[in-house]
Amino acid sequence: MSAQELDPITLQVISGALDTIAEEMGHILYRMSFSSIIRESQDLGAGLFDTEFNTLCESESTPLHIGSLPGYLRGIDESLQGGTWNEGDVVIHNHPYFGASHSPDIGIVIPCFYRGELVGFGANTAHHLDIGAATPGLIIDIPDVFAEGMLFAGTKLYEKGVRNEALWQFLGRNSRAAKQLQSDIEAQIASARLGVRRFEELMDRYGRDTILAATRQLMDYTERVMRQRIAEIPDGEYRAEGFLDDDGKNRDVRLPIKVCVRIIGDSIQVDLTGSSDQVETGFNVPFEGSTKVGCYCAIRSLLLDAATSEITVPSNEGSFRPIEVIAPKGSIYNPKYPAAAEARFTQVNRAIDLIYKALAPVLPNEIIAGSSASLSFAAYSGIRPSGDYWVFLEVNEGAYGGRPQSDGPDSIDNLMANTRNNPLEDLGMHLPMICDRYELRDDVLPGAGRYRGGIGVVKSQRILTDGFITHENERHHDIPWGIFGGWSGATGKVEVFNIDDPDEVRDMPAKFSGLRVKSGDVHAFYAPCGGGYGNPLERPAEQVLGDVLDDFCTVQHARNAYGVVVDLVNEQVDEAATESLRSRMENEPSSTSIPTLPAPVVGEKHRDHVEIPPSLSVSEAASSNGGKLASLEAIRAICGDQWSFEVVYYSQRGNTAEVRGELRSDQSYVAETGSAVNGQGVSLGAAFQAATDVSFQRCVERLVAEQL
Amino acid sequence: MARVGVDVGGTNTDFVLEADHGVYFHKVPSTPNDQSDGVLVGLLQLCEQAQVKPETIDLIVHGTTIATNVTLENDGAEVGMITTRNFRDILHIGRHKRPYNFSLHFDCPWQSRPLVKRRNRIAITERIRPPSGEIETPLNEDEVLEAVALFKKRGIKSVVVGFMFSFLNDTHERRAKAIVEKEMPDAFVCASSDVANVMREYERFSTAAMNGFVGPRTSFYLNNLKDKLARDGFSANLRIIQSNGGIATVETCSQRAVTMLMSGPAGGVIGGKSEALACSAKNIITVDIGGTSADISTITDGQIKIMNPRDTYVSGHPVLIPMIDLVTIGAGGGSIAYIDSAGGFHVGPRSAGADPGPACYGRGGEEPTVTDAQVCLGRLDPDKMLGGDLPLDKAIADRVIEEKIARPLGISVTEAALGIIRLVNSNMALAIRSNSVARGVDPRDYSLIPFGGAGPLHGVALAEAVSAKNVIVPVAPGITAAMGLLQTDMQYEHARSVIASLSNIGSDSLTRINRVLSELSGQCRKDLEGDGVPASEQQYQKIAECRYHGQGFELRAVIKTDQVTESSVTDVIDSFHQQHQLDYGYAFLDGEVELITLRVIGVQYVTPLKVPRLEKSGKSLLKDAILYSKETVFDDAETHSTPRYDRSQLRDGHVLSGPAIVVQHNSTILIPPNYTATVGEFGNLIIEHNN
Repeated sequence: MSAQELDPITLQVISGALDTIAEEMGHILYRMSFSSIIRESQDLGAGLFDTEFNTLCESESTPLHIGSLPGYLRGIDESLQGGTWNEGDVVIHNHPYFGASHSPDIGIVIPCFYRGELVGFGANTAHHLDIGAATPGLIIDIPDVFAEGMLFAGTKLYEKGVRNEALWQFLGRNSRAAKQLQSDIEAQIASARLGVRRFEELMDRYGRDTILAATRQLMDYTERVMRQRIAEIPDGEYRAEGFLDDDGKNRDVRLPIKVCVRIIGDSIQVDLTGSSDQVETGFNVPFEGSTKVGCYCAIRSLLLDAATSEITVPSNEGSFRPIEVIAPKGSIYNPKYPAAAEARFTQVNRAIDLIYKALAPVLPNEIIAGSSASLSFAAYSGIRPSGDYWVFLEVNEGAYGGRPQSDGPDSIDNLMANTRNNPLEDLGMHLPMICDRYELRDDVLPGAGRYRGGIGVVKSQRILTDGFITHENERHHDIPWGIFGGWSGATGKVEVFNIDDPDEVRDMPAKFSGLRVKSGDVHAFYAPCGGGYGNPLERPAEQVLGDVLDDFCTVQHARNAYGVVVDLVNEQVDEAATESLRSRMENEPSSTSIPTLPAPVVGEKHRDHVEIPPSLSVSEAASSNGGKLASLEAIRAICGDQWSFEVVYYSQRGNTAEVRGELRSDQSYVAETGSAVNGQGVSLGAAFQAATDVSFQRCVERLVAEQL
Repeated sequence: MARVGVDVGGTNTDFVLEADHGVYFHKVPSTPNDQSDGVLVGLLQLCEQAQVKPETIDLIVHGTTIATNVTLENDGAEVGMITTRNFRDILHIGRHKRPYNFSLHFDCPWQSRPLVKRRNRIAITERIRPPSGEIETPLNEDEVLEAVALFKKRGIKSVVVGFMFSFLNDTHERRAKAIVEKEMPDAFVCASSDVANVMREYERFSTAAMNGFVGPRTSFYLNNLKDKLARDGFSANLRIIQSNGGIATVETCSQRAVTMLMSGPAGGVIGGKSEALACSAKNIITVDIGGTSADISTITDGQIKIMNPRDTYVSGHPVLIPMIDLVTIGAGGGSIAYIDSAGGFHVGPRSAGADPGPACYGRGGEEPTVTDAQVCLGRLDPDKMLGGDLPLDKAIADRVIEEKIARPLGISVTEAALGIIRLVNSNMALAIRSNSVARGVDPRDYSLIPFGGAGPLHGVALAEAVSAKNVIVPVAPGITAAMGLLQTDMQYEHARSVIASLSNIGSDSLTRINRVLSELSGQCRKDLEGDGVPASEQQYQKIAECRYHGQGFELRAVIKTDQVTESSVTDVIDSFHQQHQLDYGYAFLDGEVELITLRVIGVQYVTPLKVPRLEKSGKSLLKDAILYSKETVFDDAETHSTPRYDRSQLRDGHVLSGPAIVVQHNSTILIPPNYTATVGEFGNLIIEHNN
């Protein structure tokens, strides 16, 4: 190896050439592929790697694929058929216990030999429609990894240039979408071959030693940039937590997520210790291929934000070096063989969201409020009248939390997800499905704030044959958080009904497996809405007026959350009324409750944190409080059963538990905060329950007053 | 009889006039407040200079950035939209993909600067059912009237109608449009099926919305220009260049302003192509280098390629209009060189722009640019820029390169300047590769045509980097785009989605395909006849946009016969396989080929611009063209005493050996050692390596 340092000019020239190769590899793959999950959603990654499995360059496709390939290469190294690489080999690999991201993401790896010597690899991953798992397309409620379908570890699809026809035929017989599977693998091979050829051309041009020296220097450069950014953050230990709905089977068991971010000089530890143990379904996260990759993505988006950074840092291993990810073996983020680990996206996205929450005290102008941070991944399938199996995978979008200088974007892929939706018209022309509704939710409002949270989408897909739906999704219970005075967002929901009987609605859990559906059944997905950033009273009144006109906000909500009185007939702000209302609200702490920030804790000491209350709700049976019963009667007198009450925020300050609830009915919306003291025989849970009751009573009082 | 090409750019408005007695060039400063002022002033001056009376000009071809500027300045009409109930937010959701993978603070232009505000998107009860296109729910006309009432209340003057599945059946769009036109007679109204009658709701609606956004101002500008020309005695037909490189009438462009959005670089590509064809080169890479960006296009066998509709975006909004396939990168004379905090060296995409401009302009710029590096290396003579109209300060160029690059890197000023040039050339060469090699094109068979003021300084280096065959420098590199305007064909396109399997084609599908082809041809014919093009000069190209069944993106296959028959359909299928092989290096020969969209292009080919031949070199000596010699540093870091030739003194057949520099009013041409330039019969310079 040449020890020679390359000059920065040559280095930059080679860096540009490597990026171009990666983009070309990704381009070929998604343009050539057949299944919509690759071609439209671009659920793929492609790049070049050295013999130590460092990333030399990677295509800008989907973040979860970016950085996952080194895990595949390490896994292949442990399992390679025959133990050695030969020119002309093509390896197929997807085993989650040999480094794969998850089993549907099949990796194709081709070695690059230069003048007879192995110098690196051209490789890519792509999400395949169906690999013959227990249920079509997606899987959640399965007992172990073997129910995920075909598993390959270090298997040679081509040996010295000759295709293994037995294996090829096997692939064609073990998928519900065999044609797409095989065609997409062919596209992957074309892409990887191209990468290898370009890599060789590059070495022809600049010389092998120069290229390898350049790739090392480029990794050092990326690492240096990342470390500079980390060093700017005060050292310390920053924590946040949340919880997941369930594992897709045990419906009442919430799964905690605990995130601790340690800043130590110019490096970062992301510690997920304390998060849920691994679960008995497929709702676990492969550590190498997904948990680590997700944490890298979180830090890179935060510290090397592509929209605001002046320089574009090369995509390579260097950005990962300063980041250490810790998750105990046997936990949901690092499951033990043979646990299934296919449905892993949403847990990773939630961890990213909580990394930002944890860092809020030290990076208030960089982090954003709580996002949907889940993922909706739906698999529709059935049998056509011709007898053919059809399978369709769809990624539905989320919404962002409010940001330090702008609103959270609405209805858009969130955090680590970044796919394209399928044209509804293309779908209607080619599949026995039709979309009945695709627009912003109007049944809930996003978190209010100086910058509001993003609004989630509602998408209703009707299926026109009998078949199955599997839905990997989250966040029906843990509400996206507001910050610095911003209000919480809203949770998601899923409904299933038949087009001929639209009033018979089944409320579904967020995730379910292999639901049998009939022709005419509609699957309606409602995405969570993001939390707000900053005090809503600081949002300019004109902007609130615009929100009302655009139906991003109601007249009621403009008044209650923002203190803005809108004259809808003349499409104007009532300036005088707004001024007096805002000044009154500023002096009225109950309606402008500011959620507290988790305080930074330096050193080894762990903060006493708030335990998640079992369930905060208004229930008659649990109530011994006369005031609450009276409130229940009062609200029923006005609204019958057409109302809902939800806790959107809770916190503990000293020995005071505080709860903010929102009461909604057809026409009205009010939010009030209640508090109660714990200690001296009153448990924290009981204090939360009492505070909830107070919040509810205040909401009712206010609603009654507004009705009069 | 005379023709004029007028190209309005950000800084200058360029003119080319072709009369029986010769070709004349002219340039005036652009007038951004009303581009037509500069156009009129320049036209009148040019007529005088060429001794041509305004009324004897019979064709004016105009390239204008008016529609593009509306999008850049985000200053279009307040648009109202009537759309399908339950699908109000198609424009707001877009394709739900973020612009960056790793970012929290990204902007979504389709949400932060919507073409139609949500308050003005009114959902109406109606439904067309796929795949048949039958009406499932009739249009609720009362709701349309309510929407119109709201638009009127809000003072809206531009309305678009976009319904789901209108590409299958546009009855509802037509009806709603008719109601709006009746109720709002002064409004600019268009339906999505008018502007892009093809599948994919977001892209179609976005195209219609963009048309509604830029249409009113564009239409006003064009009609105003037409009136002003008539007032000043010009009776010429006014034609406007479109993004696909064809020209069309003021009326057409007013209704479909969206077709002008990406016309900016089109004139240049066509101009570059014409110059290459004049030198008998049919495989061409055009490189148009301006102050902040470079446009690169690859042309095979003289045929300009149209960009995949998947890639046609304007200001972050998809627009389904055919545009010339080119890549634009942020690399030009004004690109800034800098070193970041971690020691990385970059050139561009940030640019010093026109103000302050490169440091050597002496207008306060303190950051080194590509132009400063050229001055520093002695390739641009400080007293020769724009014929001496723009004096440059070499001392400042040397100083900023020293302070900002050379000292921090511990290298000499010359090495730093060479590094800047090397990096900007590398960025441009990679862009050329992505537009050629990555699409299955082998540049060794291609001539590279550099133009734009700075183009010919980089031409040879770029050709070397991508292994192009040779370099052809146009006659007037600074106004190649204006010359291109006089080389464009009259061109109208109509398209419609027809989804059918070609591999398993039935007689029903054949009938449908042939019916639609004949309707589309009829629409093109109507347009051409409306322009007075005689039937004998009308030509038709038919295109089938296809994909393998199950794929998501179409490629263009050619239909060579008038009608598609059971036997001729195999030619269309073969044409698709070939295109797939060319673009992706792979074809699925046993894959089922599916037709998605039919397109017909009606063309009248124009007589090309007649550039006068140069005198033969016989009696004039090459040494008479030498102005002086000066020390110049070339890319191999060698310094040579290099002669400067006055281009106006070069004659057909002169041969210049590098190192040499050729200067003319608006450009400087660099001929490195070991290269030889031959002057062609029209004055083009053909530069080739000595072996």
